[in-house]
Amino acid sequence: MSRFESGMESMIDTYIYESTSLLETLDQIMMRTESNNRFDEEDINEIFRIMHTIKGSSAMMGLENMSTLAHRIEDMFFIIREEKPVIESIQTLYELVFDSSDLLKAEIDMLQDEDSEPTDFGEQIAKIESFVEYLKTGTMPGNEPAASENASEGVKTEAASDSGNTDGFVKVRVFFEDNCEMENLRALLIVNKISEYCTELKTIPENIETDSSTAKEIVENGFLIMFKSHEDDQKLIMTEIEGAINVKSYEVLDAPAQTESAPAEEPAKEIAAEKDAEPAPAAEPVKAEPAVQAAAKAEKPAAPAQTTEQINNKLQQKNTNHAAKGKQSLISVNLNKLDQLLDMVGEIVIAEAMVTSNPDLKGLKLDNFQKSARELRKLTDELQDIVMSIRMVPLSGVFNKMTRIVRDMKVKLNKDVNLVFEGEETEVDKSVIDNLNDPLMHMVRNSMDHGIEETQEERIAAGKPAQGTITLAAYNSSGEVIIVVSDDGGGIDTQKVLSKAMANGLLTKPAEEYTDKEIFNMVMLPGFSTNTEVTEFSGRGVGMDVVRQSIEKIGGTVSVDSKKGEGTNFIIKIPLSLAIIDGIEVSVGKSIFTIPTNTIKKFIKLKEGQLFYDTSQKEIIKDGNKCYPLIRLHQFYNIEPTSDNIYDGVVVLVESEGRSACILVDELIGEQQVVVKPFSPMFNRYNIKQQGMAGCTILGDGSITIILDIDNIINEN
Amino acid sequence: MANEVYQTQKNEFNTNGGQILLYYIDDVLYGIEIEYITEIISIMPITVVPRVPDFIKGVINIRGKVVPVISIRNKINQPEIPYDDKTCIIIVEINDLTVGLIVDCVREISTVLPTDTCSAPDFKTVNENQYIKSIIDSNGEIKQLLDIHKLILE
Repeated sequence: MSRFESGMESMIDTYIYESTSLLETLDQIMMRTESNNRFDEEDINEIFRIMHTIKGSSAMMGLENMSTLAHRIEDMFFIIREEKPVIESIQTLYELVFDSSDLLKAEIDMLQDEDSEPTDFGEQIAKIESFVEYLKTGTMPGNEPAASENASEGVKTEAASDSGNTDGFVKVRVFFEDNCEMENLRALLIVNKISEYCTELKTIPENIETDSSTAKEIVENGFLIMFKSHEDDQKLIMTEIEGAINVKSYEVLDAPAQTESAPAEEPAKEIAAEKDAEPAPAAEPVKAEPAVQAAAKAEKPAAPAQTTEQINNKLQQKNTNHAAKGKQSLISVNLNKLDQLLDMVGEIVIAEAMVTSNPDLKGLKLDNFQKSARELRKLTDELQDIVMSIRMVPLSGVFNKMTRIVRDMKVKLNKDVNLVFEGEETEVDKSVIDNLNDPLMHMVRNSMDHGIEETQEERIAAGKPAQGTITLAAYNSSGEVIIVVSDDGGGIDTQKVLSKAMANGLLTKPAEEYTDKEIFNMVMLPGFSTNTEVTEFSGRGVGMDVVRQSIEKIGGTVSVDSKKGEGTNFIIKIPLSLAIIDGIEVSVGKSIFTIPTNTIKKFIKLKEGQLFYDTSQKEIIKDGNKCYPLIRLHQFYNIEPTSDNIYDGVVVLVESEGRSACILVDELIGEQQVVVKPFSPMFNRYNIKQQGMAGCTILGDGSITIILDIDNIINEN
Repeated sequence: MANEVYQTQKNEFNTNGGQILLYYIDDVLYGIEIEYITEIISIMPITVVPRVPDFIKGVINIRGKVVPVISIRNKINQPEIPYDDKTCIIIVEINDLTVGLIVDCVREISTVLPTDTCSAPDFKTVNENQYIKSIIDSNGEIKQLLDIHKLILE
C-alpha cells in the first residue's frame, strides 16, 4: 500500500528533490560555521528557514515524524537566535544537527520505497529537547516560559478587539481556479512572493503552510491577504498576485486611501492585528496550539474581531540580509526528458547527414541546396550545444558532499586534515555526476584512512606540516574531465602492496617483474585492502574495486600514482559525455574509422626524407623541426591496407594530453558530426577502450564506424 | 546433478510451450529457445571491430542500435564459410544484452516435448561439448540445444 494519498504522488518527487537540496545546504552551512567556529545571524536564519520549510512540507506530505523532528530543530535555533545563550558544548549542537540531518536524509531515501514504515525519531527528539532544556536552564535561568514547549512559543496569542488596529492594511482576497488542488500551497507561493515587498503581512487562514486542511477553507472563502507596504510597492504586489499561478480572480477589499485611514471591513472576516514594534514580519505563519487554533476556527464566522495570532517575525532579517532578490529563473526538469531530448538531437544529426550527404545528390551541382544545408547544419550545431549545456552540472555539488565525509572522519579517526578544492566549477554531464558520488566518497575515505599518516608526529618527522591535506581537483583536457584525488600522506608502500597481493593470491607473474605502476594499480583489484584492520570507513577490501567499476560504468578510467613519503594521486578520467563530436573519417583497407577532430593537429602528405628509423627500428616522422613516432593503423589493428607504400597514404598528426604521434591511414573520406554510441557491454571484457576504440557511430548511410581513442592508441603503441 | 539440469529444462519448456527455433550449421541441426529471440534478419554488412576474439565478427546497425554479432560456427570450432543468401543473423536478447548470432540457415520453429529431451553429455570431461545444453530426439531427428548463456556470456 502506498504511504501517500492519491494526488500526493505527483508531489513526492518535488518534495524529495526540495528536501534533499535543503538538507545539503544545511550541511554546508554547518560545515562552514564549524570551521569558522561561529554562527552568523544570517546562518542561523538560514538554518531556521530550512528547518521551517522541511517542517512545513513534511507535514503537508503527512510525514509527521519528519515534521516533528524538523520542528524541534527549528525550536532549538529559535532559542539560539532569540536568547543568544552562551553555548559551552557547541560540539553537542553540531552533532545534534548533523545526526538529525542524516536521519532526515535516510528517511527521505526510504520514501521511495513504498512499503517502508516511518521511522521513530523519538530518541533524537528527546536529545534535542534535553539540549534545548540545557540551553534554557543552563544559561538563562528564570526565563519566562514563552519560549518553550513547542511552536506556540513564538506566538503571542492576543485578543485584540479594536478594529482600528487594522490601520493601513491593504486587503486582497484571492480565489484560485477550481480544482487546482493544494490551494494552501499556492497561497503560500503568493505569500512568499510578495513578502519581500511588505512591511507587514497577515493572511486568513493563517497556517497555510503546515495545515493542509486550510486548502478547503481557501476554496470556500478565498484567501485573504492583508499587508502593509510602501506605496510604491503596492503596485508591484498587485502584479505579483495577479500573475501568480492558478489565480482565478482577486478582489481588493479595501485599500487605505492614505496610509492612516481606517477602512471598513467585512465583519465576518475581520481581523484584529496587533501591531508589532518590529517591522517587516515576513511570511512565517506559525503553528498554533491545536486548542487555540480550533477555537479560532470555530469563532471566526460568528464573532468579528476575535482571537488572532500575530504573524511571527522570524524571517525579518532575511529581507535585509538577502538583498539580492529576483524572480526565480530556475526550473527543475525530469532527467528522463533531457535524455529523450538528447537522443532526439542525436537522431536529428544523423538524419541531417542522411539528407545532406545523400547518395542521390552525388555529382549534382546544387548551389542553393548546399546553402540551405549549411544553414541547417549551423542550426543543428547550436541545438546540440544548447542541449549539452543544459545537461552540464558543476562538480562543486559532489565535492561539497566530501567536506562532510572529511569532517566526520576527522573526528572519528582523530586526524587533522584539510580538504582543498580546485576547479570545482568544472562541469560534467548530469548522468556522470550521479555516478561520481560513490567513487569519490570511497576515494576520499581511503585517503583519509590509509593515505594520511596515523599521527601528526609521523608527519612532522617526515618534514611535513602537521595538518594533512586532501585535494580534490578537476579540470578539462581534450574532451575529458580529469578529477584527481590526492593526499600528502605516506604514499603507497610497494613492498607492502606486493606482499599483500601475494598473500591474497592476486599475482599473475613473479613479484620482481612488476613495475611500480602495476603495483599501484593492484590496490584497485577486487578483494584487496592493505589495511589489516577493518574500520568503519574503509578497509572492507571492496572500496577501490567498487570505485573502478563505477567509473568504468560511465566510460571512464582510474589510475593511481604515488610517491613514497609524498602522497598518492588517484586520477579519474571521464568523458565529457560529448555524445556528439566532430570527427574526420579515414579509411584503412576496407574499414572506416572516425578520428575526433579536436585531437587532429594537421594532415601530412609524406615526402621522401621525412621518414627515419630510431635505434629500435621504430619509424619516426620528421615534420618541420619536430619528430613524431609513426603508428601505421593497419598494423596496429591488423587490417589489410590498400597500399603498403607509406607515400600513398595520409599521415594524421594527432595530439592528446600533451603527447603527439603520427597515424598512417589510407585515405581521408570526409568530415562529419557523429553521435557517439557506446560499445555493447559485451566488449567490456576485451578492454576495448585500451585498444584505442572509444565507441562507434552510425553514419548517414547507416554504416557503422569506430571512433578512435587517440590517447589510448598513443599509450598502446 | 545431471538430473537437476534436466529438471530445470523441463520447467523451462513447460512454461514456454517448449518452442525452439531450429537452425543449421553445416548439416547439423541446432536449436535455441524462442524466448530469447527478438528477430531474425538476413546477413548484412558487418563493421569489423579489431583486437577482439575471432568469434566476434563485429557490429551491425539495427535501427540505430549498435549490436555485436557472434559467429556460432566459430564458437563451436567449425571452419568459416562465406556468407550466402541463406545466412541469417538471429538477434537475441539476454540479460539486457542484445547480440546477433550468425547461423548458416534457419529452418523452423518446432515444439519440443519434454519426453524428447535427453541430458547432454557430461560437460566437464568433453571440452568440445561445453555449449550443449541438451539433446533433443524427436522421431529420430537429433537436434542440439545450445546453452545461449554460455555461448554469449562466457
